[in-house]
Amino acid sequence: MLSVLREKAVLTLIVLVALGVGIGAAHDRTLDRGTPFLFQEIVSLVLRPSASGFHLAAVAADSAGHFARPRRSILKENSDLRSEVQRLRTENAALTEAAQENARLRAALGLWQSAKLSMVAAEVISRNESTWFDTATIDRGRRAGIGRGWAVITTGSRLVGQVLETDAFTSRIVALTDSNSAVGAMVQRSRSNGFLQGQGGDYLTLSYLPKDADVKVGDVVISSGMGRVIPKGFVIGRVVKVVHNKVMGSTTALVRPSIRLDQIEQVFVVKPGQSVPQ
Amino acid sequence: MRYFWPVITLIAAAGLQGNLPAAISIWGAKPDLVLVVLISYSLAADPAFGAGLGFVAGLVHGSFVGFSLGSFIVTRTITGFLSGLVTARLFSENLLVPALSAVWLTVVCEVLFLLSNPRPDLGIALRKVAGECLSNAILTLLIQFALRHLDTHRKIKLANARI
Repeated sequence: MLSVLREKAVLTLIVLVALGVGIGAAHDRTLDRGTPFLFQEIVSLVLRPSASGFHLAAVAADSAGHFARPRRSILKENSDLRSEVQRLRTENAALTEAAQENARLRAALGLWQSAKLSMVAAEVISRNESTWFDTATIDRGRRAGIGRGWAVITTGSRLVGQVLETDAFTSRIVALTDSNSAVGAMVQRSRSNGFLQGQGGDYLTLSYLPKDADVKVGDVVISSGMGRVIPKGFVIGRVVKVVHNKVMGSTTALVRPSIRLDQIEQVFVVKPGQSVPQ
Repeated sequence: MRYFWPVITLIAAAGLQGNLPAAISIWGAKPDLVLVVLISYSLAADPAFGAGLGFVAGLVHGSFVGFSLGSFIVTRTITGFLSGLVTARLFSENLLVPALSAVWLTVVCEVLFLLSNPRPDLGIALRKVAGECLSNAILTLLIQFALRHLDTHRKIKLANARI
């Protein structure tokens, strides 16, 4: 046994594994405390140019692909976009009218007037770096004022996830679909509150709903604002299945997220303690 | 100096990993480029070098992901060590050997990772392991084929120059 341990390779393995356990424990402690881990900050600084470089190359390749298209396809897209602009103009006019009416009614009822959200725009430079975690890296960090736990949204006030950790120039975000992710959520129509958890797959589970919760397939699920870290009202997804557990006396809903991590390019990181204009 | 190019390749692989298109995934898993680079280098080296490179691979990959840094380091260190051990026992000119090594080393690495980071749905996890094994094996096969092709060309050039 001792002769095996004396072998250089085995000894190297034992020392490195012990060092790995030590670094891992230190990293977990800093994650729990929400403080920066100096060792990882240095590694991130070395790694950042690699991720940014490949991101720029991917964007350039994508742009080149757009330029190299046949004329007919460009003309068709142009025509489609014109009709889309027309449709959106009409919709915009209707929405402006509705917003003004909403503001008038709120004023008449003496309700709170929603303020604009304070947020930081960022670009996703790397995503799904591992098979096991739905995480991504964005190009804004502590220097842009971003902090741990802040909500990350994309266009249409759709909730993507939360900030996991930050360094000076970048932040790592964890998507709602990740199995380590959990947020307070509610059914928009019935206002039934629950706890939304990622499963590491394509769906989320909305659990701890009351036994008699009014939840139907197709219902929109939004953030509930519980804990005051993720603001209330961000769109999370739609209910695709409802399971009533008679033994436990609870209801669980399977939710399809409104956006997947591999579909996002730009995000907005939202400061906690705010409310989404309803 | 022995570690310089392997470490540079690992950093590049980690950067590229986060920009791989989703379309290339098999059963929900994309190839793990950092693991493939680690296995490819370690298969041509000794266990001590494999363990050292595995440590760096885990550090690089774990730092990118942000979760379970310790698990990444430990599993990659063990995988690198085992990969180096294979060289001494199973070395072969056959291209299938590195590809099959990539399969079982991926299984070992990911099973160890899953033991320290259990997933809520074991079915999804096993499907992802299978997908990653297949992706890694295909990629390792392509890398080994390209490297041997380049090496043969280099040898022919060298021989021609001597003549």
